[in-house]
Amino acid sequence: MIFHWHAPSPPRTASVDLKFGAARPCRPLPFEFACPRVVSVPIAAPAVRARSFRFVDSDAARPRAAANHKTRPPSAASAKHYISSSLKSITYTRLKPPSDVIKLSDRLEYLLQPSLEAILEENSLAFPYRPFPFQFEGIAFLYPRQAAILADEMGLGKTMQAITAIRLLLRRGEVKSVLLVCPKPLVTNWRREFERWAPETPAMVIEGDQAKRDWQWRLPDVPVRIVNYESLLRDCSERMRFDLVVLDESQRIKNRSSSTNRTVASISRRRSWALTGTPVENSVEDLLGIFEFLSPGFLSPEMKPRSIGRAIGDHVLRRTKEQVLADLPPKLVRDAAIDLTPEQRESYRLAEDDGVLRLNELGRSAAIRHVFELVMRLKQICNFDPATGASAKLERIEADLEEIAASGRKAIVFSQWVSTLRVLARRLERFGPLEYHGQVPSHRRDAVIRQFQQESNKHVLLISYGAGGVGLNLQFVNYVFLFDRWWNPAVEDQAINRAHRIGVDGPVNVTRFLMLDTIEERIDAILRQKRELFEQIFSGADDRRKLGLTQEELFGLFELKCPAGPIDLAA
Amino acid sequence: MEPKKGSSETTLGFLSVTEHPQFGLFGGYLVLNAFGRPLEFHCTAPLKPNRAQEILYGPTLEEFIFGEQIGRTLIEQSGPPLIVFTDRRPALAARQYVSPPLALVLSPSVAGGGTQSTDDDEKIYRIDAAHEGRPRLAHFRYGRNRLALPERADEDRRLIVERLSGVDESFDLFEPFGRIYEAIEEARQAAR
Repeated sequence: MIFHWHAPSPPRTASVDLKFGAARPCRPLPFEFACPRVVSVPIAAPAVRARSFRFVDSDAARPRAAANHKTRPPSAASAKHYISSSLKSITYTRLKPPSDVIKLSDRLEYLLQPSLEAILEENSLAFPYRPFPFQFEGIAFLYPRQAAILADEMGLGKTMQAITAIRLLLRRGEVKSVLLVCPKPLVTNWRREFERWAPETPAMVIEGDQAKRDWQWRLPDVPVRIVNYESLLRDCSERMRFDLVVLDESQRIKNRSSSTNRTVASISRRRSWALTGTPVENSVEDLLGIFEFLSPGFLSPEMKPRSIGRAIGDHVLRRTKEQVLADLPPKLVRDAAIDLTPEQRESYRLAEDDGVLRLNELGRSAAIRHVFELVMRLKQICNFDPATGASAKLERIEADLEEIAASGRKAIVFSQWVSTLRVLARRLERFGPLEYHGQVPSHRRDAVIRQFQQESNKHVLLISYGAGGVGLNLQFVNYVFLFDRWWNPAVEDQAINRAHRIGVDGPVNVTRFLMLDTIEERIDAILRQKRELFEQIFSGADDRRKLGLTQEELFGLFELKCPAGPIDLAA
Repeated sequence: MEPKKGSSETTLGFLSVTEHPQFGLFGGYLVLNAFGRPLEFHCTAPLKPNRAQEILYGPTLEEFIFGEQIGRTLIEQSGPPLIVFTDRRPALAARQYVSPPLALVLSPSVAGGGTQSTDDDEKIYRIDAAHEGRPRLAHFRYGRNRLALPERADEDRRLIVERLSGVDESFDLFEPFGRIYEAIEEARQAAR
């Protein structure tokens, strides 16, 4: 388009008859005008360049009423199908492309999908209750990722989020075979959760003798297989191929050189997810072990914690209860610092003096196991005096349980020793104690939990860290006692979070016993350092303090000098 | 295999324009299938009207850019959908160049009834013959969605009502525009 502008055309000449008296000649005057100048302003229409992206219509095969709008506008009945319930939802959780998706069209395909809520609705995926918004975010995080760690704090529903993401991938045909690997005590829990959150998804538990397991592995068209780590170690073969492998409690593969790590990493698969509330238990090495499964070589041992924190950002989703559950009743943690009874103090002093003396005598041949043996012995004395059975902790817990039982509440007590739990069961008889540990057969454990929940005279459940630290849902409990301390703060957190989780109906009171001027106090200081390490990686803080426990620190518990170089301590 | 252009039998189009302070205007057009899933996405390179255009198009510049330039170009990239929705009033001007009816979806966050003014209604327009201002809009509700069309577009309104008549009224027709904005931003960043 060109815009022209000019003035109106003037007359080219003019004649003027000027008469001044008679017969004077008349002379025309030339009256020429120059041609007007025209100014042209081009108004070029902006050239519009369009870029197009077309996506595969994965819904094309789905049944719906045919209605070709080009020739026949849809009737009211068929129109019901053309805008589906995908646009119904009020809250929207959007799928985001993972950072390792590079191609723009692929990234746009993720961004342009309807909200997760709409997709779930569209696929008629019913839930026993509506997930929390942060759980939708967790599902949206897992769903598009090839390699992911869902590292939510315990009690936020990692199981449900993983199952829903799996369910969605199965429903949309993006995966056809899923292998879920979990610790043995959690197998029944996973099966139960699949029945609850994905009732239409057959989940087969790989179990039984070798012949049965071989048959189960060979069965075609099994969408989800659940297997424990030990069975997988026995059965793993090169023939195994899965679209998705999910590791629950993935800290089990934190040791890169372990056979468990090597076995799961050898399975042929397209997607790898890890679920853990404690991606770092002791040192950054733990995270390296998990990434060896997720994406080998992605992390290197030379990387500093802050660099690791940045690198893993897109692969790890970690939320705490404080962040996402504003309405969750608080967790009130108190350290009950108690003096040993005189009997315990005397036994403790003798044992420590004797143990340190022996370590000194061993000199350079002293090994970590010698230190451990001494630590264990001292910790047991902190629980009970071996000679008299006196226990300051027991006196304290009895007093607390009186009050708890009187108010009709329930408590759980954790210890690392079954023998301690057995003694507690005898001494706390009047509170109706129940036991849940490795010596209780697996098939009886669910009944124990039911009894504890249903019977009003059962006020205390005695649990070992090993058997009850993970997978138990005890939201009806308001009191947690850590009768003795575990080496690893993550394990303690796991234990506490059996009670402090979604559904809890009041504050959870946590009591951590700590015997003054004993090994427990010194261990507590180390646990605090480990917690700081975790914060360093997952909050981006730049703390350059030493990370793992060193041999020096371990020997330092007894003010001894280390005979060799630094080592990592496996908890 | 790449799907064919406009292959879906029942589709809805969503057209929007967003302005970047540095680069100018970006248009985006999203075609959804019957299940609300994306079939096609088309976006423009950034546009910036020059000074002469600003002066000479005056208050009709937005209609020209949003409707004729961006809207028409984008909608023609694809087979005609049942209805095209836009969240930008000036983009309604694309209607004279394309075959499907085009309706404005008003933001659900703006409180008020169906007769509420749009933001543009507050502007002052010249009232001489050349610039009589934008046509007034006729508002109507579709479930919780507030839609608007030019007052004289009776036939379009009839078509839209007919094509939406069997649809659940709880559908949110404003939601896809959020997807368009995110996609435009993603494409813009990828082009850097």
